[in-house]
Amino acid sequence: MTAFARRFLSRPTALLGFAVFAAIVVIALAAPLLFARGPFAIVGMPLLPPGSPGLPAGSDVLGRNMMIALAYGARVSLLVGISATLCSTLVGILLGALAGYYGGLVDDLLMRVTEFFQIIPAFVLLMVLVAFLQPSLTSAIIGIALITWPNVARVVRAEFLSLRNREFVEAARTLGMRDTRIILTQILPNALPPIVVVSSMMVGNAILAESALSFLGLGDPNLLSWGSMIGGARSAMWVAWWTTTLPGLSIMITVLALNFVGDGLNDALNPRRSR
Amino acid sequence: MLLVSIQGLTVALPPGADRDKAVEDVSLDVGRNEIVCIVGESGSGKSLTAHAIMGLLPRGVTAAGGRILFDGVDLLKETPRALRKRRGRDIAMIFQDPMAALNPVVNIGHQVTEQIRAHRAISEAEALKQAGALLGEMGLKDVPSLLKAYPHQLSGGQRQRVMIAMALSLSPQLLIADEPTTALDVTTQAQILKLIKRIQAEREMSVLLITHDFGVVADMADKVAVMRHGRVLESGVVGEVLGNPSHAYTRALIAAVPRGESQLPPPPDVRPLVEVSGLTKRFRRGGLFSRGAVNTAVDNVSLTLSRGETLGIVGESGSGKSTLARCVIRLLDPDAGEILLDGADIAHMKPGELRPLRRRIQMVFQDPFSSLNPRQTVGDIITIGPRIYGEDPKEARARAADILRLVGLNPETMNRLPHEFSGGQRQRIGLARALMLRPDVLIADEPVSALDVTVQAQVLQLLDDVRRQMNLAMLFITHDMRVAAQVCHRVMVMRNGKVVETGVTRDIFANPSSEYTRALVAAIPGRQTR
Repeated sequence: MTAFARRFLSRPTALLGFAVFAAIVVIALAAPLLFARGPFAIVGMPLLPPGSPGLPAGSDVLGRNMMIALAYGARVSLLVGISATLCSTLVGILLGALAGYYGGLVDDLLMRVTEFFQIIPAFVLLMVLVAFLQPSLTSAIIGIALITWPNVARVVRAEFLSLRNREFVEAARTLGMRDTRIILTQILPNALPPIVVVSSMMVGNAILAESALSFLGLGDPNLLSWGSMIGGARSAMWVAWWTTTLPGLSIMITVLALNFVGDGLNDALNPRRSR
Repeated sequence: MLLVSIQGLTVALPPGADRDKAVEDVSLDVGRNEIVCIVGESGSGKSLTAHAIMGLLPRGVTAAGGRILFDGVDLLKETPRALRKRRGRDIAMIFQDPMAALNPVVNIGHQVTEQIRAHRAISEAEALKQAGALLGEMGLKDVPSLLKAYPHQLSGGQRQRVMIAMALSLSPQLLIADEPTTALDVTTQAQILKLIKRIQAEREMSVLLITHDFGVVADMADKVAVMRHGRVLESGVVGEVLGNPSHAYTRALIAAVPRGESQLPPPPDVRPLVEVSGLTKRFRRGGLFSRGAVNTAVDNVSLTLSRGETLGIVGESGSGKSTLARCVIRLLDPDAGEILLDGADIAHMKPGELRPLRRRIQMVFQDPFSSLNPRQTVGDIITIGPRIYGEDPKEARARAADILRLVGLNPETMNRLPHEFSGGQRQRIGLARALMLRPDVLIADEPVSALDVTVQAQVLQLLDDVRRQMNLAMLFITHDMRVAAQVCHRVMVMRNGKVVETGVTRDIFANPSSEYTRALVAAIPGRQTR
């Protein structure tokens, strides 16, 4: 583990990404403590520029504190990004493992289902789903998980296909081990590195998808997210640049940080592939 | 007359490697019109020495000292451009794996002519004519269609012949052959070695042959150099080094080469523990909607195996010996036939019925690097079997310590991970895992083919000791007749999924009844010279 940490931290971009991501997590967690009044409270005149007294990030079209809105937006983005990724990773591991381990008919069936989800335009499916389920945090999470699990399933299946014929897996079978135990204790730990890498990249994609949904007005109406901030302020884009630019930058920085972390994990977990 | 004179060559490894010099102060001469063998185990630096002559050291590895004189010119001082011109024209090389050395998407004719035309200004048609003549000289049949073929359509032996043809296309003065027959079957190996010897004599060229096999040395070399840990321990005329080795390591290496003569008595005549009859396994190619060709990997095979006996299953690649073993241990489901274990047919048992019986048949695998889960400690790996059957973990660990001692490992290694062990040690761990279940039958699938000769000898000895102590019935799969002769009471020869013959080892070797077995025995390297 220490060798892994050393390899990860020796990459400047990975270190930077990790530090930025950690800072965003801290801000998100601390938002209710720092700003007890919440993001919807009106604190002054609308469209005050950043640096105005008490408004380091300015105010939005309704005179709300942008700083507080950005901090609360981080909560929504991270919550959706991480929960959706967890859900889709679990589903992807389950189906990918079954397809890769058993092969044959099971594999054929599960892969056809996977392909079904992959050939439908993902974002259209997401919009229809969320609209159908009523826009809310839960429906965004379910929807995003539903369009992203095939990526995980494919990676897991490929890993299982190559690992299931390794001799240590055959040895486990000759010892009389049950399939579930072989999958969980023998194959899965060896398949984890690529899964971790794919998942860390997926958090960023999930955040982008959530922002796009909120921008289109399909986000949770009771929560302020970076996407809905951009959507709500797009009419003021030309007179008050900060109303759209700051949430946009927040999304970009978070996703970029996550991609750096993903790259760093990839190099640290697969030291041989990196050079 | 000297062609190559290596003087005090030192090759440095990049920082962080397990030693700083791969090759240290090596001096070696190759005369004109002679075959020089460098023999050594893995990590001895034999391959890097050869690559240094070609100027083809891996990145980060550099020649740090010494000289390599080729016809009086120091190759280490040549410019990359001059060196590139020499490759192929003056010095050519063939490798262990001809499949990896050939371009899979270019046909054979084009690959051979490309090599010729890179050095000589001649027309495509003229080059093709030369290529055809060369391939014919290599003993290849039906040259016109071969020129149009792609590498995957050729057998391993054919590919290696093509490689040799390419190497010889510019009539080099020196041919470097790096383990050229290690990836080939025994009968093919014998043919390729014969070819190299014939070509060398006809063209009066020099050959530097890298090998780990003293049998090959005995058959091929005029002179030999023994390397270990990057140094030349001993070198000289082959008869002297083999007949009267001056270094203890050389003596150990020669002693470790299995003789190809059986010293084991015929097996005890007792009721068989395992009786296999009419076993058949077919593989179908093709997917859900297509019916592909059917390949019968194991065809109506019958055998018996008793306690305390080792039955060797010998055959070349594709003979079905591994498939047979995997059917007997039910890693594969046979299509027909029965496998009686103590009278109970396990060939068609359902997984639930089979599970309690699995502990009675255990297996030692071929590849020491993939047979142990890289993420589990040795202790977990070898106690997991008993724990599946409900043995108390503490008790299992105590027993594991005894078993580790039995296979010659320190019980304190239990908390370590597999990557900290050498190939031979890993095979011992794999054996310990199998023995923990107190099996009746042990299947060993090429258990020593990935190991160096000296380690190989130790592991074979261990397997034999364990078989005797635990009164195991052992099924021993191997492609190496010499290994089979050393540990097996009886031998079964397989070819294309069928049994060619079965008999007491001594009889099979002294008096083979089939043409094929005779060819196998004759192909054993080093046999004529003994």
